[in-house]
Amino acid sequence: MKKIIVIIILLFSLALPGVSVAGSQSVLIQNATVMTASDLGILENTDLLIENGLIAAIGKQLTANDAEIIDASNMIVTPGLIAPHSQLGLVEIELEQQTRDDSTDHYSAGFSIANAFNPSSTLIPYNRSGGITSAIVVPASAKTNFSGMASVFNLDGKLLTQPIAQDIAMVMNYGAESDSRASQILLLEDAFEKAVRFKRNKASILRGNYFDYGVYTIRDLEAIMRVLDKDIPLLVRSNRAQDLLTMIAIAKKYRIKMVFYGAKEAWRIADVLAREDIPVILDPMDNIPSSFDAIAARMDNAALLNAAGVTILITSQSTHNSYLSRQGAGNAAAYGLPQDEALKALTINVADVFGLSQDRGSIAVGKSADLVIWDGNPLEVSSFATAMMIEGHSISLISRSRRLRDKYLIELGLK
Amino acid sequence: MAMNKKLLTVSVICLLFVFVLEAQDNDANVIKSDPLNGAYQSTYNPEQSEKILIRNARILTGTGEELVNASILIENNKISAIGKIKKNTKANIIDAKGKWITPGIIDIHSHMGVYPAPSLRASSDGNEATDPVTPHVWAEHSVWTQDPQFTLALKGGITTFHVLPGSANLIGGRGVTLKNIRSVTVQGMKFPKAPYTLKMACGENPKRVYGNRKQEPSTRMANVAGYRTAWIDAEYYLKKIDRFANKMEDNLLLDEADLDEDEDQERPPKRDLKMETLAGVLKGEILIQNHCYRGEEMAVMLDIAKEFNYKVTTFHHAIEAYKVADLLADQGVCAAMWADWWGFKHEAYDMVWANAAMVDQAQKGTGCAIIHSDSAIGTQHLNQEAAKSRAAGIRAGLDISRGRAIKWITFNPAKALGISDQVGSLEVGKMADLVIWDGDPFSVFTKAEKVFIDGHIKYDSQREEAFKRTDFDLGIIDPEDTRL
Repeated sequence: MKKIIVIIILLFSLALPGVSVAGSQSVLIQNATVMTASDLGILENTDLLIENGLIAAIGKQLTANDAEIIDASNMIVTPGLIAPHSQLGLVEIELEQQTRDDSTDHYSAGFSIANAFNPSSTLIPYNRSGGITSAIVVPASAKTNFSGMASVFNLDGKLLTQPIAQDIAMVMNYGAESDSRASQILLLEDAFEKAVRFKRNKASILRGNYFDYGVYTIRDLEAIMRVLDKDIPLLVRSNRAQDLLTMIAIAKKYRIKMVFYGAKEAWRIADVLAREDIPVILDPMDNIPSSFDAIAARMDNAALLNAAGVTILITSQSTHNSYLSRQGAGNAAAYGLPQDEALKALTINVADVFGLSQDRGSIAVGKSADLVIWDGNPLEVSSFATAMMIEGHSISLISRSRRLRDKYLIELGLK
Repeated sequence: MAMNKKLLTVSVICLLFVFVLEAQDNDANVIKSDPLNGAYQSTYNPEQSEKILIRNARILTGTGEELVNASILIENNKISAIGKIKKNTKANIIDAKGKWITPGIIDIHSHMGVYPAPSLRASSDGNEATDPVTPHVWAEHSVWTQDPQFTLALKGGITTFHVLPGSANLIGGRGVTLKNIRSVTVQGMKFPKAPYTLKMACGENPKRVYGNRKQEPSTRMANVAGYRTAWIDAEYYLKKIDRFANKMEDNLLLDEADLDEDEDQERPPKRDLKMETLAGVLKGEILIQNHCYRGEEMAVMLDIAKEFNYKVTTFHHAIEAYKVADLLADQGVCAAMWADWWGFKHEAYDMVWANAAMVDQAQKGTGCAIIHSDSAIGTQHLNQEAAKSRAAGIRAGLDISRGRAIKWITFNPAKALGISDQVGSLEVGKMADLVIWDGDPFSVFTKAEKVFIDGHIKYDSQREEAFKRTDFDLGIIDPEDTRL
């Protein structure tokens, strides 16, 4: 069976030589254990050929002329991990406002963070060394309950980094706040209605006809319309089971796409989430009943959701340690989530939910060569990334933190 | 038998106490040697445990050793034997083949109980952020004993934890060491005979909290002036107390009539809660637990300790401990650290994963490294935090065995809390606080299977009834059900 698959892949790879991306050298990764995060599962003693930034072939004993050879015996290769919800590139030091670009008082739904991304942030090489190759970068807060729109970035750290995809999800909060949650829903519906009216009468409004924008700008209303047009999903940060059900009712009423973040009580409505095909981004380790919105938090939330057929994406709640999504996935596995599903929750599921899976999220021929080579099971806390590739380029795993370590190892006479 | 012995001891102590009190009461002007009059003490007194023999386990003893295929015998709440033990027919046998045993995990930095879940204004009781110097407040008087975080921590193997006031203040108040057992009263949770501790805080937090109010301290230099001013007051207070006590001893005390004329000189000084705590530090009875991130600040704090002749027991958070690891090792000061938290403020910017390992290995391995949580999530997985730190150390080229690294969450915190004569390692005569893990405790996939406190199983993944929940958990999701 395996042989057949390999042959099919090889045939498929032969059909690809026409594709070319300038600049990157061929690389042949040999004898790896390849965790594909796809239906191919885990492939032992397998080679990966990288050409033109893409995965050109997957198979046994591949050969390639002039390719750089990486011996990955006893190593594991996975797709690069994708942080599903972080402020990477927007925040350097949390408590120092001038190092943050993740919030605004001027815009609401239309707040796009795409222009603020700082590829030279120290968080980027650091999180690369933990295995993250790209990130869904989300705004923290904006005017009203909308926080703005998320964009996707590679973490190769190059200046002038352009987003892989811009403004791909609308983010909002729902739950316990100073304002009643009932009022929050009314405001949301009013915003939807306003966006629709604006769209319908845009020409006359721009000619000068009266329109009550309320707290919104044109940019905000057009962004909201993208949600109503099913162009982008509404990513709702919410925890209480009843709140999730209320938002699901909104999703059905307006026929919009929805993704939940947090969702500490999601397991209580796992069947509904599965039926309505609503994915959930969660931190499996957050089992604290931290508010009256999260009384039913528990360690096996991820496992229960997965068992019910819900698509889960695993995140860390700390932007600085975005890569600790791995530890979260490991803990989810310890509490019943199958390990292959845990890896998918760090990779392909993220790509799927945010429309990136054609090029990313799993190891498959034709996809971008965003790869991590590990010295052990990537779900294990003691495993480290030993090599990384983003779009076929070898990427350094040195970080400022690592430099500090090495400096003081010498000063202490420990090296 | 042991029960009788204990009763006898307690009675003797009580008698002595009465005697001392009576003696003192004869003269109203004498300062009692125990100004608390025996109040606030631990009332925790575990029932006598059954005889339990745990066999065939891999044991990390907390003394640095790793025993293979070994046994532990528990009797009368204590460890009575460890190593190769003959099968004892009178004991309940637990076969721990394939399992690992460690001492009960100790978290030296917790705010459970003072910042309980759910987070509400009503029970947010960890920071008396109304004055930068509040040594008179005690964390134990804020503890909500029904915090559901306690039981979550228990499932992660936490048998003892140290609850601190927050870090808003230069001197934040007394911390308290608790056993992770359910009790309506905080006295019932207090670790017997654990010394009091004093929370101090360096750096950004105090200067931010008070600086934002245009109040001192708003700079690090005012932080330092603040500590020194407090210690000067404490020195003065202590001298006053001592002078008075000496006069008492020398029978120089004048009678009532003379007292009125001689005012302050002869009158017993009025009790001062702030000064009682600070004087306790100067007398070496109260241990300093000092929140401090930066290397240079730790060095300054050690100089303040030198100026006033007290000891800093532990620097907490200690993001830059690796930069002063030699100094810490030389002075016998522990550093309690996270495995990887960073970046939430500037003083937490220079984190390195190998911090704990470097502190541990400094000066030929004489450093004292501790992994702490400061988090109700982290405390449930302190073994994983130690695993990350150990792996980072190995990756940095340092030789750190499991036996060594387990001390970071067992023996070393016990030492830094002044309770290592009672817990922190699996040695004969120590409290039978231990965890049976279903695998290598340095793996993310491993969970605590049984948690013993004083020889009693307080959590058993296979036996629901062993587990006592907090009141909070009852009927809170479903009136007829219990929260998880």
